Amino acid sequence: MTPGRLAYIALNAAILIFILAPIAIIFVFAVNPVPYIDFPPSGFTWDWFVQFFTSDIFMRSLWLSLRVAAIVTLLAVFFGATASLAIARGNLPGARTITAFVLSPLMLPAILTGLALFQAYMFLDIGRPLWGLVMGHVLVTTPYVVRTTLAVLHNFDTRLEEAATNLGAGPVRVYFEVTLPLIKPGVIAGGIFAFIVSFDQFPVSLFLIGPGNETLPITLFNYLKFEMDGRIAAASVVSILISLVVVIGIDRTVGLRSYGKM
Amino acid sequence: MTHSRFNAGRRRFLSSAAAAGAMTLGSPLVLRAQNSELNITGWGGKWGEVFEATVGPMFEKEYNCKIVRDTSFPFVPKLQASSRRNPIYDVVHSNQNAQAAAVVMGLVEEKLDPTNIPNMAELYDYATSDTINGVCMFTSAIGMGYRKDLVKEVPTSWTDLWKEEYADKRGAYVIPINSLGQAFLTMAASIYGSGAKDLDAAYEALEKLKPIKLVDFTGAMEKMILSGEVELCVIHDSGVLRYYDTPNEAAFCAPKEGVLALEQVLNITPGTQKRELAEAYINFMLSPEIQKTMAEAVWYSPANKNVVLSDVYQERLLTTPEKVAQLKQVDWMWYNANKDAIDMRVNRIFRA
Repeated sequence: MTPGRLAYIALNAAILIFILAPIAIIFVFAVNPVPYIDFPPSGFTWDWFVQFFTSDIFMRSLWLSLRVAAIVTLLAVFFGATASLAIARGNLPGARTITAFVLSPLMLPAILTGLALFQAYMFLDIGRPLWGLVMGHVLVTTPYVVRTTLAVLHNFDTRLEEAATNLGAGPVRVYFEVTLPLIKPGVIAGGIFAFIVSFDQFPVSLFLIGPGNETLPITLFNYLKFEMDGRIAAASVVSILISLVVVIGIDRTVGLRSYGKM
Repeated sequence: MTHSRFNAGRRRFLSSAAAAGAMTLGSPLVLRAQNSELNITGWGGKWGEVFEATVGPMFEKEYNCKIVRDTSFPFVPKLQASSRRNPIYDVVHSNQNAQAAAVVMGLVEEKLDPTNIPNMAELYDYATSDTINGVCMFTSAIGMGYRKDLVKEVPTSWTDLWKEEYADKRGAYVIPINSLGQAFLTMAASIYGSGAKDLDAAYEALEKLKPIKLVDFTGAMEKMILSGEVELCVIHDSGVLRYYDTPNEAAFCAPKEGVLALEQVLNITPGTQKRELAEAYINFMLSPEIQKTMAEAVWYSPANKNVVLSDVYQERLLTTPEKVAQLKQVDWMWYNANKDAIDMRVNRIFRA
């Protein structure tokens, strides 16, 4: 093995360790019986997981986070995919400006987006309903779908749609049987981003959640301010596993690899 | 017959009206509170669990209302963004440093009227002192935590923290973002300078604390002392005492110069539409029964001087006038007014 190749492998290994070490520490903390980070671990226990899964507050938050993320994903996919099609294919005047506008939530610090939305809701006397939180999440997740869908549309061969039209398919049939299957990888990749960003969303939720409607990241933060035991680590492990399951599940069912190849 | 029926109807009407009137006069608060929502702020963690399981439902039942409790920080910016005439919260529960900031912005009352909150008459003086806006319901004592197995001598003075043997084995809080760290700065000023507001003396003392381990979250210091990552640290008594039932080597020391107060304060927003219910809630939280329940759940010292805790708590918390006399309160109005300059200077000290 050449020294260059060795250095390349060492660098990649170092990057991997850097990325995975915090997750490994969380795992160790979650199964360690003592209520603080201790290495080497002083034993093994599932108690923190039991306490997490039997806590009403944590379970309520976890379930709410999952529901919100699912709804947000559907809405972000709908708005993001349709906006992308309009931008890429609609011959809109100022398409670049519109793209920048749609993607702008990614450029603003999310905490400012959260505060601005909160102030707007207060001004309009809306309060902090759950749908307000969902809309806040949609605002910050839609750009991910737009970005990934636009990337697919950039390489889209429009002659395929023209061929379908020439063969007698109507616009709706062309959309569902030609366009959608071809942009699907980008939409799905964006949807996965949307789910994970919503599920882990903290800065926007901080201002928009109402009492009793705390999502998991907010509950963890509130808990962390006063307690810092293994329940936090157990919740983090569960959170990581859920994100992982979503990614693997979607990859196995509808496929992500096709997006990776594009 | 008609006359008699009329008389009977009139009697029923008069007796019903009298009963309704008597009820109104006898329990005006309860009637007005019916079906109301009281919007409050509150802590999460163990406090939140106990509150939701026992204290909150008790109040809701007694006053026939619903408590809507926001546990997500930050409270002040949310209050600031909401309407002054119909604020997002009726009662704000926070530490005194946040109350002082809110008072300056006109978001909470400067003082509460004790005639409407009878239990305020039963409190230790510190709970309604000049440095408090609203009313203090509990306090923790900020002192020092140490490892029994690692220190050579049991610490007795704040100055022990500056000893060479604790270099890089001592811990404190990130001053710009943690009120325990901010309170500690005033103690350093008192010990090494002319008083709590002698900032130059505080800066010089902080410089000499390096190397030191600093944490941002209050709860993080508990883990540092439990794990032995620090041997001596600034910490509040609740952060050590709460592990009373767990075998560990951490202990709390109340330094001879006094302990700093970490007050849990309740206050009312000036624009609340439910002032009477808000006052009833504060009175309820100051009642001996609730004070005992929460104090024993989270190891906070009750402000009500009539509360008698179980022995294990009574011995360790600030439950007598002699123990309460050790408390030093921070002038948060002054601190907040100087916070930007302090933060800038402290960041420079600990950046290197």
